[in-house]
Amino acid sequence: MTLNWNIEVIFDFAIAFAGLICTIITYLPPKTQKITSLNFIRLSIFGMFIFMFFDGLAFLFVNNFIARLTGLMLIPTTLCIIIGVNYTIRETYYSKGFVLVFGLSILFLFVSLQPNATIPSTESGYLRIEWVGLFNIFGILFTAIAVLYMFYWGIKTWLNAPILIKKEASLFFTGISITTILGLVFYFMYLFESFYILISNLLILIGVIIFMVAILKEPKLLYILPFTVHRILVKDREGAPLYDHDWVESNITETIFTGFLNAVQLMSQEVMDIGGLLDINLEEGILIMRESKFVTVGLVATKSSKLLRESVIKFTRDFEEKFERELKKSIKDTSQYKDAYDLIVKHFSNFPYKIVKSKKQPLLLTGKYVKIPLELETKLRSVFTDEEEYEAIKTELIKSPLSMPTEFINLYNDLKHEIDQLSGEDVKYLNSNQSNEE
Amino acid sequence: MKTQIKAKSLGLDHPSVKKVIGIAEEIMSQNKVLSIETLYNRAKKRLKFPKNGLLSIIQLLLDKKILIEGSKFSKGTILKNQCRKRLYNFIMNYPGVHFSILRKRVLCDDLGNVGSSGQLIWHLEMLLRFNSIKKTKVGNYTIFIPFDMDEEVGKQCFLIRDNINKKILNLLINQNSIKKSDVYKLINEKREIVYYRLKNLMEQELILPLKESDKEILINSAKRDSILEVLEKSKDK
Repeated sequence: MTLNWNIEVIFDFAIAFAGLICTIITYLPPKTQKITSLNFIRLSIFGMFIFMFFDGLAFLFVNNFIARLTGLMLIPTTLCIIIGVNYTIRETYYSKGFVLVFGLSILFLFVSLQPNATIPSTESGYLRIEWVGLFNIFGILFTAIAVLYMFYWGIKTWLNAPILIKKEASLFFTGISITTILGLVFYFMYLFESFYILISNLLILIGVIIFMVAILKEPKLLYILPFTVHRILVKDREGAPLYDHDWVESNITETIFTGFLNAVQLMSQEVMDIGGLLDINLEEGILIMRESKFVTVGLVATKSSKLLRESVIKFTRDFEEKFERELKKSIKDTSQYKDAYDLIVKHFSNFPYKIVKSKKQPLLLTGKYVKIPLELETKLRSVFTDEEEYEAIKTELIKSPLSMPTEFINLYNDLKHEIDQLSGEDVKYLNSNQSNEE
Repeated sequence: MKTQIKAKSLGLDHPSVKKVIGIAEEIMSQNKVLSIETLYNRAKKRLKFPKNGLLSIIQLLLDKKILIEGSKFSKGTILKNQCRKRLYNFIMNYPGVHFSILRKRVLCDDLGNVGSSGQLIWHLEMLLRFNSIKKTKVGNYTIFIPFDMDEEVGKQCFLIRDNINKKILNLLINQNSIKKSDVYKLINEKREIVYYRLKNLMEQELILPLKESDKEILINSAKRDSILEVLEKSKDK
């Protein structure tokens, strides 16, 4: 039997091979491998590998049956990418798009069983199997749907990627754009001139390679979620804040936020037992509260998600385990719970950090790490005996004009001298003055 | 040989993290803008860490709030600090307020803990430096007033906040002159307390001795209108 080797077969196998590598790559590096959306997207990439492999085989053996199977591979590929995107956006497989494609799949299946759905023909100087009639139309339609969903996923990922991996996200998006949009454009052009299928295949191959490079550089790109987590706060059963972490800039102090959680907790005591989880819809987001034996954890995000709820449950469990000794002793010193950051990394590493919006955005080192002249440091330390207060002032010091420390010390000495010099009568007078403020 | 950074063991005590903090300190001490870009570029060049490792360190520093968003202060940004904003609003509402009052009334956190004097003076200096408020002396007292307020009015605000001063001025505003020795009887207060106030009010020239007889006092006609205005405002509060 003579094999029908031609350039399109070579391209098909090359893309299929790249698709296989791509599937393996998306499986190996991610830390959080059990993300449902990623599983379906991975299946879709694997479907593309099978599709291209079967396409190559169909041409190689000039086999109509394999050609029809190739077309039908578009059904699981398209459905998987739709489910993957649906899970990413709203954590359910179901959407109108899914129902529509599912319905069309039955028609596509029926059409594939009709005679003359595929025929051998010679185009661009070599023998290939051509899809014809309704089978061809359905093939194009399913390809277009899969491509547009893939592109949508790419653009969502790119837009939501945190600034630190924006460069890789751009590479990732470039790869997806070349594979999907450019590939699709030339695929449409192929309808008029068969030569363009080779360019389409070449672009798909290049795009997949770029996509793989981006994933290898930054595996997190595969599970960036299109919503923002604002803040998590852990408080003890008496209402004292123990740990606070922000993903976005917030003007609400830890104390106010704790007070808010306490109020919500008080109001929802009847529905929230120990071990319970509560979702409270806010105007522009959601508050997830988890109550356990020693602590209550509150998390604010732009929308609720199963993944997020599971992360809160696991975080709460680990927090109690890690700080069991401190919690049993009712220690309220927040510095004792600083290591909870490791749990943030463990459970929330796939939620983008959005405080810094640009790589050029000015930053400052917090007080603890700012170096100031020894003489000034000695003076400031004599004024600010509390370490936290001292660090807060040092943080401000670096943002202040150069003359600020000297002027501050002068004012401090003046006012201190004034208070020391006030006579008993003066103090009485001031107290009377003060009583009128109250 | 490439330096390996294992993400799991990263902490602030990790030598690689300390090196990156050192570079951030260096950039700041050179008065250059510290940003992710400048820190990354310099650290990459100097330390030759792998890209992902270096980004993990920068991410750690951001997460742990060692690196924070911010640039030099301006008049517009100094009030982003909640404590300073509270202080500023208090001075706007109660012009002519003394430091000791500010300390007790403003520098309390949400749990009622009073902050330190140093902290208060720091915030006051910041407001002074950026011309949001100004300070002036009334006798032995340093008071703080809004930057746009006339110092004289600010002093009157301080003095009139005292109930006995207010009574004295209310009394004098409607009379030509009164004997000093009669004032305490007319306002029904202790003699020594009233004499102390009269001394202060005279020092600040809100009231003056009568030319003909220094035993009698009257309101300073040059300041009468502003005193009236401050007295009226004090009634509203």
